[in-house]
Amino acid sequence: MTAADATETRAWRPALAVLPAGTAVALAAAVAAPWILDAYTISVASYALVLALLACSAQLLTGVAGLPTLGQAAYLAIGGYTAAIIGRTVTTNGPAQILAATLAAAVAAAVIGAVVTRARATAFLLISLAVGELTHTAARLATGVTGGDAGLSTPAVVVAPGATPLTRDGHIYLWVLGCSGVIIGSLTVLLRSRFGLILRAAASHEPRVRAAGHPAGRYLWAAYVIAAGVAGAAGALLVAAHRYIAPTDTTFTVSALALLAAVLAGRTLLGACAGALLIVATRDLVVPELVPGHAPALLGVLFLAAAYARPLTDRLRHRRRRCRCRGCVG
Amino acid sequence: MAGQLIIAVDGLAFGLLLFAVAAGLTLTLGAADTLQLSHGTLYLAGAYLGWWLGSGNWAGFVASAALGGVVAAAAGGGLALALRPLRGHLHQALATVGVGLILTDVLASVFGAEPQSVDPPPGLTGSVHVFGHDYPIYRLLLIAVGAALALALHLVVARSRAGILVRATAADADMVAVAGVDPRRVQWSVMAAGAGLAVVAGVLGAPVLGPAPGLDHTVLVLSLIIVVIGGHASIRGALLAALVVGQVQTSAAAVWPAAAPFLLFATLAVALLAQTGVRARRIRTT
Repeated sequence: MTAADATETRAWRPALAVLPAGTAVALAAAVAAPWILDAYTISVASYALVLALLACSAQLLTGVAGLPTLGQAAYLAIGGYTAAIIGRTVTTNGPAQILAATLAAAVAAAVIGAVVTRARATAFLLISLAVGELTHTAARLATGVTGGDAGLSTPAVVVAPGATPLTRDGHIYLWVLGCSGVIIGSLTVLLRSRFGLILRAAASHEPRVRAAGHPAGRYLWAAYVIAAGVAGAAGALLVAAHRYIAPTDTTFTVSALALLAAVLAGRTLLGACAGALLIVATRDLVVPELVPGHAPALLGVLFLAAAYARPLTDRLRHRRRRCRCRGCVG
Repeated sequence: MAGQLIIAVDGLAFGLLLFAVAAGLTLTLGAADTLQLSHGTLYLAGAYLGWWLGSGNWAGFVASAALGGVVAAAAGGGLALALRPLRGHLHQALATVGVGLILTDVLASVFGAEPQSVDPPPGLTGSVHVFGHDYPIYRLLLIAVGAALALALHLVVARSRAGILVRATAADADMVAVAGVDPRRVQWSVMAAGAGLAVVAGVLGAPVLGPAPGLDHTVLVLSLIIVVIGGHASIRGALLAALVVGQVQTSAAAVWPAAAPFLLFATLAVALLAQTGVRARRIRTT
């Protein structure tokens, strides 16, 4: 596992050199998008940003801390319903909703994480899946709080007190883009710190980290709480974008898509964002054109591609090397 | 009192049904070292098969159970071969989620997306008088079949040569290879048996837990909880966990449905804390 990761980092190094220029172009395109694309595509892009944030949350656990998760939609749900309930009863202030959603998800994760982060690897994967699906079921059944299957619709958010509510797709998109940009930027800084280093170390060899005197369990718990906070913020942004949340927004498939995005394009936060964009573009732009109504099947193919990419490329590389050897001998 | 007893009997039927699904998953994870996340979709496929062929007639019921079991076993064996190049549970999880999504799409295209209700075969539709309450015959039969299955699985795994090989492969696949048996053969047999069991459970369980969209995830999560509580490749552990989960689900559903997920999570948390406690103590003593 560690050796494979090392070769992966080495393979990514040439790509990193062109990354700043590419990132700048991508950012400029992202900001200019509302003036270029039509309203439907922009609303799809808003959702893609929400999934990108959720994928970053999954990446923090899966790619950095080595805790593969299939349940991040649980915290998307907690954050989303918190934002929706606040939006209906207290305030339509967007930043306040995001803050409350982040806090609610982090507090829930602090309690759940105390149990869940005792598990590692496959057991963690299974338990996170259970947490995600049980939260989904709770959201469906607790009709008094969540509105059950009918969901909750909310008034449009305002960016600051006295501002006009965000109702146009372009405005909503720019708000979601700005917020997710700030969150992903802070997460990037956090992961470059000592904290990120210890998480990576714990992922590759936890006993050594413990032997060096770091309380690895507490670090993993903190990573779980932070990841949940990010997912909670994603939930608030989802509510801001759709002005509606229902249990169908927080299914097992959403968690699975976040994990897929995290592993699809390299184990970095930017890779997770790219994966999320690819997934949402496939589901909401390609599927209606090519195979209307069969989004699950096409997403299934994406899952299979992500799983088999490594063995297939390995096999191709192997074959090419062997051919060269034969050429040398013959 | 009698009402509580009826709920307890209901929980027993549900728990034994879940055991039939989770036993396959336990063996797949334990002996074949494979994380099979399309297991719930297999149950759903079985339930749709039971609705399509076997609703209210004996011939269709028996045929769908037998045919579904055989076809699913072949598919399970094929899946074991297909998953062989993948390294690690994460990639297996991704691949099987993909297989599950494709299968769900096929099922939705063929059978539609509405929940269906399935009638038991004729003669099993009525109810009998138990402890002053009317109780459906089919559920009592399900308890009998589930108990027989649990006993048979326990005997096979604990006593037969095949069971010894399965347990040996779960403990140390390399040693099995040294002893002259190809562990990969054991692994694909176990996955075939697990897939077959899931589909047969779907056909048998359809009159109780009928086909509906989203059922695949419910069944998957309940059986994963059973696998985590029950422990590594343990049929007895899976049976105990399935009975507990069955009781928790039905008694919560009768009193306060919204509390069921929280109760299930609490059960999982208690089991997890107990397990990590035991492991920590073991490490300290050795």
